[in-house]
Amino acid sequence: MIAYLTAIVTLVGVRALLTLGLNVQWGMTGLVNLGAVAFFAVGAYTSALLAVGGVSLVLAWPAGVALAAAAGASLALVALRLREDYLAIVTLGFAEVLRLFLLNEAWLTRGANGVTAIPRPLHAWFGGHYPAFYLLLVLAAVGLVYAALERLRRSPFGRVLRAIREDEVVAAVAGKPVFRFKVQAFALGAGVAGLAGILFAHYLAYVEPNMFLPQESLYVWLALILGGSGNNRGALLGSLVLLGLLEGSRFAKDVIPFLSGVRLAAAQQMLVGVVLVTMMIRRPDGLLPERPGSE
Amino acid sequence: MPPIAQYVFNGIVTGGILALPAVAFSLLWRLLRFPNFAVSTYLTVGAYAALVLNAGAHAPLELAWLGALAATGAVALAVDRIAFRPMRDRRPFSLAIASIGVAFVLENVVRFVWGNDFRAYDVPVSRAASVAGLRVGREQLLILGAAVVLMALSQAFLRRTRLGVAMRATADNPLLAAVKGVPTDRVIAVATFGGGALAGGAGVFVGLDASIDPLMGGGLIISVFAAAILGGIGSAPGALAGALIVGIVEEAGTLVVPPTYKTAIGFVIILAVLLVRPTGLAGSRS
Repeated sequence: MIAYLTAIVTLVGVRALLTLGLNVQWGMTGLVNLGAVAFFAVGAYTSALLAVGGVSLVLAWPAGVALAAAAGASLALVALRLREDYLAIVTLGFAEVLRLFLLNEAWLTRGANGVTAIPRPLHAWFGGHYPAFYLLLVLAAVGLVYAALERLRRSPFGRVLRAIREDEVVAAVAGKPVFRFKVQAFALGAGVAGLAGILFAHYLAYVEPNMFLPQESLYVWLALILGGSGNNRGALLGSLVLLGLLEGSRFAKDVIPFLSGVRLAAAQQMLVGVVLVTMMIRRPDGLLPERPGSE
Repeated sequence: MPPIAQYVFNGIVTGGILALPAVAFSLLWRLLRFPNFAVSTYLTVGAYAALVLNAGAHAPLELAWLGALAATGAVALAVDRIAFRPMRDRRPFSLAIASIGVAFVLENVVRFVWGNDFRAYDVPVSRAASVAGLRVGREQLLILGAAVVLMALSQAFLRRTRLGVAMRATADNPLLAAVKGVPTDRVIAVATFGGGALAGGAGVFVGLDASIDPLMGGGLIISVFAAAILGGIGSAPGALAGALIVGIVEEAGTLVVPPTYKTAIGFVIILAVLLVRPTGLAGSRS
């Protein structure tokens, strides 16, 4: 049971990072991104492939964050001038094309077989206590990112992002280089998603393209909307509630034994979809709405 | 290796299928002002509705196809009532997110009932004929014929009937149309039902041309978007032209890139259109 809980909370931490990343883009700045999973994958694969190739994790991890942020900046430079409904389609398509790339360019990504035997940091040191160590590592990362983003949110930079979210014309009239701020916010969020991917890859010691399906981006949205977009506490709470939904429905198997594996998975995803639509209709501000003037 | 004409012919069939959801997606986007991500999942709904009637109740596929049109239209209408109507006045992106949730629910209802297995209709196996050096399947001709009829019917509806004209008026300027006495709710209901029916009918074609599985519609989402955006949002003839181009480029593109990258071709088309000429072929201002 302890082992199970440790594993679950570790994965909540990874999801929380993803949600915090999306919160920078959508929650703080109002930038649509339906392809959060793409930057998660870039971080995971970059760091995993470098590490497997013998590069030290001290270099591989920053490289993963940097490449995820660079991918975010590139997509933003091309697409952020589009209207938000177009941007939704472009970001979704970007994530899907990236997954195809991971699947088909086996010379670089090892294709459908995935990357195996990804080194785990300090594994020899901790031995049997390793899961507990890794949990603390992930929680520390969440704590640091949370603290940094909270500072950012209250900083002049964060206020500009909020101004852009509320009315970018006003922000532009006030002399702010709106486009540059948007690209920076998008890249920052992508970098945080990349960090989540790195922690994920080195935790499982294995990644393959089908871990990065479009529905993962949907889960990140659900967590953000559940918690309340715009504030970082909401992002954390949303990740926790999402986990309750996903893991709780897994226990339904014990109560309803005749459900097959496929049916259980389908029922779980139906629940995710229903909760998302219901939240959008009834409580679009989430469980912890952003308080006006909370800085 | 088959000649390039074969790829073009296959592309026209693919384009004919894509045109139906592309027209639905394009007109609904213009009318309701949000991209409805559930439209491509309506293909899956239609394909399975016909499967129930055809393989389950042993109805001939032609009859099952008509049933699928009605059933998918009804599902689309129910979705609109339950999910989209309460959110009519919200920003487009909120509705887009909700529509992704809807697509997710529909896809998983299908998966829950029928599982992940690939299925096929109960139709006699027919050999492809050879016409002027091209391999032409009987199903392909049927699909093309039915797609042409459906496209002609929807075009006639939009141009010649009062309700169709009202629909175009509402799409152009909802406030003005409402002031002029156009029954907005009825227009939306008819468009939603019609759009669902078009997509559902296309789903049967995909099932006939390839196979039936829960991801069949969702897998076409990028191609449908590409066709609609290339055609120009809100233009039915544009969506038809866009669908034919996307179909042909995707099929012929497999000469250059591996077939697994078909989706990527659609994505490149979307990016290119949005960056170069966001209004698409039809070029109407939105």
